[in-house]
Amino acid sequence: MYDFTIIGGGVIGTLIARELSRYEGKVLLVDKENDLGNHATLANSAIIHSGHDPKPGTLKAKLAVEGNALYDQLAKDLDIPLLRTGAYVVAHDDEEINVLNDLIDRAKANSVNDYALLDGDTARKADPNISKTIKKVLSLPSTKVTYPWEIALAAMENALANGAEYRLNYEVKAITQTATHFILENQNGEKLTTHAIINAAGTFADLVAKMVESNVEYTITPRRGEYFVLDKQVKGFIKHILYPVPSNKGKGVLLVPQVHGNILLGPTSNFQDARETVGNHASDLEQIREDANRLADGIPYDLIIRTFAGLRATSTHDDFYIQASKTVKNFYHVAGIDSPGLTAAPAIARYVIDHLLQPKHTLTKKTHFNPIRKKPSVFHTLDKQSQHDLMKQNPLYGHIVCKCERISEAEIIDHINRPCGSSTIKGVKKRARAGSGLCQGGYCESDVLRIISEVKKIDKTRIDYYALNTPILREETKVKK
Amino acid sequence: MKDIVIIGGGAGGLAAALEAFDPSLDIMLVEREKHLGGILNQCIHNGFGLHVFDEELTGPEYAERFIQAFHDKKIPCLMETTILEIRKENDVFLIEASNKQDGLFTIKSKSIVLSSGCYERTRGQIQLPGERPKGIMPAGSAQRYLNIEGYLVGKDVFVLGSGDIGLIMARRMKLEGANVLGVAEIMPYSNGLTRNIVQCLDDYDIPLYLSHTVTDIVGKDCLESITISEVDADFKPIKGSEKQFDVDTLLLSVGLIPDTMVLESMPIALHPKTKGPTVDQTYQTSVEGLFVCGNALHVHDLVDYVTDESKRAGQFAKLFVQKPFKKPPSPIAIEANQNIHYVMPSSINPSVDLDTIHCAYRVTTKAEVGEVTLAQGDHIIKTQKVRFMAPAEMEHLTFTLNDLINHKDPITLTMEVIK
Repeated sequence: MYDFTIIGGGVIGTLIARELSRYEGKVLLVDKENDLGNHATLANSAIIHSGHDPKPGTLKAKLAVEGNALYDQLAKDLDIPLLRTGAYVVAHDDEEINVLNDLIDRAKANSVNDYALLDGDTARKADPNISKTIKKVLSLPSTKVTYPWEIALAAMENALANGAEYRLNYEVKAITQTATHFILENQNGEKLTTHAIINAAGTFADLVAKMVESNVEYTITPRRGEYFVLDKQVKGFIKHILYPVPSNKGKGVLLVPQVHGNILLGPTSNFQDARETVGNHASDLEQIREDANRLADGIPYDLIIRTFAGLRATSTHDDFYIQASKTVKNFYHVAGIDSPGLTAAPAIARYVIDHLLQPKHTLTKKTHFNPIRKKPSVFHTLDKQSQHDLMKQNPLYGHIVCKCERISEAEIIDHINRPCGSSTIKGVKKRARAGSGLCQGGYCESDVLRIISEVKKIDKTRIDYYALNTPILREETKVKK
Repeated sequence: MKDIVIIGGGAGGLAAALEAFDPSLDIMLVEREKHLGGILNQCIHNGFGLHVFDEELTGPEYAERFIQAFHDKKIPCLMETTILEIRKENDVFLIEASNKQDGLFTIKSKSIVLSSGCYERTRGQIQLPGERPKGIMPAGSAQRYLNIEGYLVGKDVFVLGSGDIGLIMARRMKLEGANVLGVAEIMPYSNGLTRNIVQCLDDYDIPLYLSHTVTDIVGKDCLESITISEVDADFKPIKGSEKQFDVDTLLLSVGLIPDTMVLESMPIALHPKTKGPTVDQTYQTSVEGLFVCGNALHVHDLVDYVTDESKRAGQFAKLFVQKPFKKPPSPIAIEANQNIHYVMPSSINPSVDLDTIHCAYRVTTKAEVGEVTLAQGDHIIKTQKVRFMAPAEMEHLTFTLNDLINHKDPITLTMEVIK
């Protein structure tokens, strides 16, 4: 019997798992996918906003501002990257400048005091490729960029180190409530028992809630966002995150420098019915170009290496919906987490403990909680002496598998073997970055496949691309059938 | 300190090394893989060597002739070694390399011949719409899995792009028992060699959809189906022309790009058309002592031409270390004009007067008969009628410095379609 079961292994679920692992009690996280952070956590703008944008007085405003401040400590504890870019909201004409002034009022109301209104030329001095037609910018220096997927990984690794557990490929299909606890059942009929449930199921949150509640107060209406990724050769093309002035469709198409040197363009914003089908659409990709051209001049579109799309778990509730169920005891909603969800995530995790769980459960702090998680070394970024020492321990650091990103065989093996390791092609790509570069795996995929097969001692035809039963290699040709 | 380091042990690097070899010089070849031969090793079909050897060989056979000669000359080589970066300090190249034996180390050299080949354009670079399931891969990757490792990636296959690898793989997968449903090409003409259209598609009844592209991809985890649509003159999909195919594999043969990643920190200008470095007739880049040849310079249609070009690059590198030639303050430009896509080289160094200057070029349009003219202003250097020209096929011409009226005015290449 678990004390707490979290449904959903995105950045919200994993950070809640980590916060809960500070306390005594059995904590489990389940996710229906073959890896953590597979949906919104994997496909978003990667921005930690200043908190200037949400409507004052909302949970979004409060938790975004708190979350932004919490990231400095979180990044230190979990060894995750933070790129302190700052952001410019840009205005081309008087109408847009009026919006900037409204945003300043909002920022003040949300207690975001670190801002400045700059004229276009001053902004262009700092960031020369900003569009010539921009007249004013609102500078928001506390805005930064992270690698969201790694937060989910790091938070879960740290939660595991502190006694929490997790299960992948566990899709909750039914929840039964007894007098004392819940019984969860997955797609294979496997059952789990737990005293309390925290529903962090993203675009599926309302469907999960309906398994126990007859009257769920919100509906998730997925909102798709599409993106381009420019190769890391563009590093330095822009130094700040560039936002247009917001519209009723949200923050609009942005230009975002990424922690690995790439630049992200997007997202678009379109509601759709499907909760996880996230294809790219020619019309969206066209719109990104059109909108992005208002932000910067001479965007090198020939360096696009990838397109992707993600779904925001937008809900019919006009704010984050973070509440104890009004009808079902020990069932907690953490739903409708769309933008600024990533920003707010560390504050949401604390909020869930302090405002939802503490009042109703006895939470006793562990004496030996260790907040620190170290990430595996990225060999090519180390100094010569450390490289030399590692090479002596393991010569496979010298074998470069992914030459675009300079990732060695030893690093890939490490990422396969770690506590939250993965033995899929895409799982390795997300962890080690092998296959994230210019050639998108053209050079290294077959070598990564060989390494996984050797480390896991499984046949090459059983190495999955990502989800279960998605092998890259269909069959061996030179064997007798 | 090495005299010449050749990067890449494929067709280009082997030919360059064989020509650059001289008992008095300290040269070395560096190869990333376990075996020499490069991409030829996975090209097990025939058709290689018609120009160089006057016979038809498979890729591995073609490679073997050069590997044998390379070993006979006992040219030093470092295998399974990746080059990460090249810098130049005080006229010396510092080549950062990595392998299992020595970890990270630096090779110093007076000159470099880069023949690191090319990589395949990916789905992201052409921004295909639709979902992103397993089952979409560059044709060359599927070729490697099949021909080197012995695995078939799928059973129901569609190919996007009519580049040669795509055509070869359509036939190869058919021979291996897969169901190949078709090849779509966005251009109104094929991007592959005519002989490959005939021998790989026509002979196996595989349909070629010209002026078509993929407009949707369906499949959450595994590829389930693709939709192709006809495109108009502006390459926009025409509504109502959609055709759906249930496939588990979509192979992409949508272009090759010279791989010059190791030159990232060098002040090298890339050619806007070839996406490789710009060079003069000695294959020297804007950096003195840095030579580039083969598919790392521009993508070739035939390996025979890679061999010829790389031989010349090897000879020039050797000449450079024996009797250094300087870069002129103002080289003579060669410009691609009417109906010419690009000319290689893009400039002439007039201080290097050997014998013949070789130019490779591609046309932008098909011509049954075309008149190709090399001129300097109004002065016609050379004009010749060429039969059966197509964008997919590389053409060649030669001239000498003596043919020029001066060493300053740009040279232009044009093609007029006669028929």
